[in-house]
Amino acid sequence: MALATAPTPMAPTFGIAATRWWIVPAAVFGVLAVLAIAVNPNVPSWLDIGLQRWVRDGYMWTIENSDHWIFASFFDPLSDLLDRLVESVLWVLEALRWPGVVALTAVIGWMTAGPRAALTGAAAMLGVAVLGVWALAMVTLSIMLTAVAIALAIGVPLGIWTSRSDRAERVLRGVLDTAQVMPAFVYLIPIVVFFSIGYPPAVVATVIYAVPPAVRLTNLGLRSVPVVTNEVGQSFGCTPWQQLVKVQLPMARSTLLLGLNQVIMMAFGIVVIASILGAGDLGNLVLKGLQKNDVGAAFVPGFAIVLLAIALDRISTGERTVSSRPPLIRLPSVDRRTGSLIGLVAVIVAATVAKVADLSTFPAALTVDISGSINDAVGWVQDNLRKDVPLIGGTESINDFLVTKVLEPLREFLVWTPWLLIVVAVAGIGYLSTGWRLAVGCASCLLVIGTMGAIPGGEGGRTQMWDLAMDTLSQVLVAIVISVLIALPLGVLAGRSDRAQRIMRPFLDTAQVMPQFVYLIPVLFLFGVGRGAGVVASVIYAIPPCIRLTGLGLREVPYTPREAAISFGATKRQELVKVQLPLAFRSIMLGINQTILMVLATVIIAALVGAGALGLVAYEGFTKPIQKIGQSAAAGISIVCLAIVLDRLTQAWGTSPDQQRRP
Amino acid sequence: MNSPFIDTEEEFAHMSTQRRTIRLLAASLAITGLLAACGSDDTEDADSGSVTTEPAGDAAGETPSAGEGIVLAANPWTGSAVNAYVAKVVLESLGTPVEVKDLDENSTWVGMDDGSIDAVLEVWPSGHAADYEAYITGKKSVIDLGLLGPSAKIGWYIPTFMIEQHPELATWEGFKDPELAKLFSTAESGDDLGQFLMGDPSYVTFDEQVIANLELPLKFVVAGSEAGLLTEIDKAIADETPLLLQFWKPHWKQLEVDLTEVALPEVTDECLASAAAGDGLYACDYAVDELYKAANAGLEAKNAMAFKVLSNLQLTTEQQSEIAGYVDRDGMTPLEAAQKWVDANTDLVAAWSA
Repeated sequence: MALATAPTPMAPTFGIAATRWWIVPAAVFGVLAVLAIAVNPNVPSWLDIGLQRWVRDGYMWTIENSDHWIFASFFDPLSDLLDRLVESVLWVLEALRWPGVVALTAVIGWMTAGPRAALTGAAAMLGVAVLGVWALAMVTLSIMLTAVAIALAIGVPLGIWTSRSDRAERVLRGVLDTAQVMPAFVYLIPIVVFFSIGYPPAVVATVIYAVPPAVRLTNLGLRSVPVVTNEVGQSFGCTPWQQLVKVQLPMARSTLLLGLNQVIMMAFGIVVIASILGAGDLGNLVLKGLQKNDVGAAFVPGFAIVLLAIALDRISTGERTVSSRPPLIRLPSVDRRTGSLIGLVAVIVAATVAKVADLSTFPAALTVDISGSINDAVGWVQDNLRKDVPLIGGTESINDFLVTKVLEPLREFLVWTPWLLIVVAVAGIGYLSTGWRLAVGCASCLLVIGTMGAIPGGEGGRTQMWDLAMDTLSQVLVAIVISVLIALPLGVLAGRSDRAQRIMRPFLDTAQVMPQFVYLIPVLFLFGVGRGAGVVASVIYAIPPCIRLTGLGLREVPYTPREAAISFGATKRQELVKVQLPLAFRSIMLGINQTILMVLATVIIAALVGAGALGLVAYEGFTKPIQKIGQSAAAGISIVCLAIVLDRLTQAWGTSPDQQRRP
Repeated sequence: MNSPFIDTEEEFAHMSTQRRTIRLLAASLAITGLLAACGSDDTEDADSGSVTTEPAGDAAGETPSAGEGIVLAANPWTGSAVNAYVAKVVLESLGTPVEVKDLDENSTWVGMDDGSIDAVLEVWPSGHAADYEAYITGKKSVIDLGLLGPSAKIGWYIPTFMIEQHPELATWEGFKDPELAKLFSTAESGDDLGQFLMGDPSYVTFDEQVIANLELPLKFVVAGSEAGLLTEIDKAIADETPLLLQFWKPHWKQLEVDLTEVALPEVTDECLASAAAGDGLYACDYAVDELYKAANAGLEAKNAMAFKVLSNLQLTTEQQSEIAGYVDRDGMTPLEAAQKWVDANTDLVAAWSA
C-alpha cells in the first residue's frame, strides 16, 4: 500500500520542471510499475483486513440481541410508523377508488404541466386498471409515495447543506455513491433484521436507493444559481433563510423537479426487489411469473409498474418540458385558484360516483389479459433470433463470440496482470486525466479491493476478491463499450429529430423502469446462461440515460454557433461532427458516466443469469445470510470501489479541457 | 441571464400560487378521503382477478374475535404456498383468521425470530442448517414443529434422451470419460470441459467439491437463479442438446419434461461428517431432505389451537403433489386448490385438531 501513497507528499515540487513536466511523473510511474511487477503478482493474504469476519460477527450479534433496548426504543417504533404511513396512503387511494385516483392524476398533471400531461398521466393510470392489477398497483404506489416523500425529506436538506459546504459535499459524495451502487441484496436481510418484514423494509430499501438523486440534484440546482442573483438578494437584506427559500430554491426549480423525477424513477427501479420481503405488491406478481418461467405473466405487472412510472413522471415533470407544440385543446384560461377548485370538485365527484356506483374494483369485463400475446411474441423471438439469422448468425453465435473471444481473454488478461501493476496503471490514467489527486484516489479505491480478503472455492480452494473484481471489471468494460456504441448513434438521432425522440421515449422509459426480472428469461433463452446474457441484461438497462443525455446535449447547443458553421458552408455532417458534438461533449460524457454507474448497479442482475463474479458473491449474502453475509458485504464494497474509480475517471474526462490542469 | 431579478420576481409570484395549489390539493385529498370512507365498512374488496394474496396486512392483529390471527409464510414455490393455504382453510374453519404472506426464505426466518411470522410449513433442511443452529438450537426463538411428510432430494440431472444415446451417463462414472463430458461443453466451460450447471445459490451445493474430488472433467458454472435452470432445461429439451445440472424433486418442471437423475456415490457417514466439517472433501450424493415445519416459539401461548393444528398437520408426497397439481396444471389459485382438497378430505383434516 505504501507504494502508491508515497508520491503524494512530493507532488508540489514537480511544478519546477515546467518545460519537461512529464519527465518526473513518467519516472515515478515507471519505478512504481517495475516495483509492482517485482513484488507478489497476487494479492497477499496478509492484506486482508478481516472485514468479512467483522460483518458476520456484527450480524450474528444483532440477531442474538434483538431484545436490546435499541430495537424496542428505536427500530420497532420507526418500523410501526413506516407501516402506518404506507397504510394511510393506501387507505386514501382505496377510498378514492380507481376513478378518483385517475381523476386526481389528471388534475395534478393539469396543474403542474398542462393538459397533455394530464391526459397521458390519466391514460397511464387507466392502463394499470385495464391490465387487471389495480389493487396490487395501489399497494406499490403507496410504498413508492411514502418512500419518495421520505427520500425528499432527507435528501433536500442534505442537498442544501452540501450546496453550502464543499467539505460536506466531499464527505457525502462517497456515501451517496455507496448508496447508489451497493447492491440491495447485500443489505436486504439486515434491513429485515432491523425493520421486520412487510412494508417497512420495502420503504427503507427504496429510500436508500432514492435519496442520492435528491441530494445531488438539489445540490446541483442550488450551486448553479448565479452569483449575481445571490448578491442581489443579499443587497436587499435577505436573511439566509429568505435567501434560500425566496431566491435560491425558486431559481433552482427546474433542477429540483428533475431531482424529484429521478427520485421517483430510482424508487421504481427497486420495487420488485422490495416485494421479496413480504410487501405483497406488484413485484410479487412479477416474481411469481418468473418462478413459472412465464414471461407473459411477469410482463403484465412489470408493464403496470412502467405505466405507474410514466404517470408519475409526466405529472411530476412540471414545466421542465413545456412543449413547443400547440396545446392539445385550448380552454378558457382560469387562474390557478379556480383551476384547483375545479380539480378538487372533479376528484370528489369521481370518488363519490365510484362509491355510489360501487366501482371499487375495475370491471373485470374491461380488463385485458395481454400475457398470452406477450408469450407469443417472446416465443417468436426465441425461436427465430437464436440461430440461422442471415449475416449476424443469431444470438447464440454472438454469445459464443462474446464469451470466448472477448470476455474470457479480457478476464484472463486482467487476472494474469500483477495486481499492483493494474493499480499503478489506473493511477497513471488518473494522473493524465487531471493530476495527482485523482491518481491517488483511484489507486486507493483499488487497493481497498485488495484488502477485502478471499472466498472459499475456485482453483486452489480460495479465490481472492481481487480476482473476482477483475472478472467483474472485464464484463463491466465490455458492457459499457457496447452500451456506448449503441447509445451514441441513437442519442444523436434523438437529438436531431423530434420524431425519433418521440418514438424512442416510451421505449426508453420502459427499458429504464421495467423490472429486469421480466426480461431475464428471454435473454437467457437467447444467449444462454453465462456472461453473455449478463452483458446483454446490463446493456438494456444502461443505455437509456446515455441516449437521453446525448440527445439533450445536442438540443441544448445554442443556435448561433451552428448558424455560423452553416454560413461558412458546413455540410450537415460537418455541422454535427465539428460543432454540435464538441459543444455537447459535457452532456454526452455525463450520459456515459451514468451508463457506467447503471452497468455497475446491474452487476447483481447479471449474476442471476450466470455472470458469476462479484455479483454472485454479493447475492449470496441474501440467499445464505448467516454463512455469507461477510463475503457479500466485501463483494458489495468491491463493486462500489470499481464504480467510484470508473465514475471519477469519466467525470474527469467530461470536464472541459480548460478546467483541467496539469501540474 | 440578463435580468435575474425579474425572473426571480416571477418565480416569487409563481411560488405562492404553487403553495396555494398544494394546500388546496391536500385539503381536497383529505375531504375526498373522508367522503369516500363515510360509512364504508364494505371496502374489503377482493382483488381484481388474478391475484391470490391479501394486498395488505390489515387482517391480522386488529380483529382478535375468534382466536388470535396468525401469519403463515409462503415461500416462492408452489408446494410451500399449498401447505400454507391448506392450513389457512383448516384454521379459519376453526375460527382463527390466517394471513398468508409471500416472502423469501431468509426473511421468513428473521420474521419467525421477531414474531411477525408465526410459522412456515416447509423447510428444506439442507439449505437451512445454519438457521436451525442459530434460531432453533441457539437462540430458541424458533421451534421445530416436526416433519411435514414429503421428502425431497437434490441431485444431478440430465435429459433422459441423453441416457438413451449414451447409457454410460446414467452414473457419475460415465462423466469420467472426457469425450462424453465434452458433449456438455458450452462457451462458459470452454472446449475441453463439460459444463455442470448449478442454479439458485440459496440451495446447498457440494457440486464443486464433488467434481474436484471425483476428478471429473467438468466445469462448475453458476446460473444464479432457478429461472436460469428452467430456461436451460427448456432449450435442451426443445433442441435435444446435452445439459447437466443440479435440480431437485419435487418440482413442477419434473412433471413437464423428462429428466433422469445421474447416480452419484452413495451417501456415507464419512460424507456426512465431511459436510458438517466443511472440509471440502465431500464426494457423494446429496442426502434426502426430510421437509419440516417451524414456528415462532411464542405460537403456543398466542394461539394454542393453531399450534396444535400446525404441529399435527402432515401431508404425504402424493397429497402435496395432488394439490400442487391443481395449481400448476389446472390453474387454480393456491386457496382454491387447498379448499378443494380439504373439502374432499374432511376426516383426515379433522384429525389435526382432535
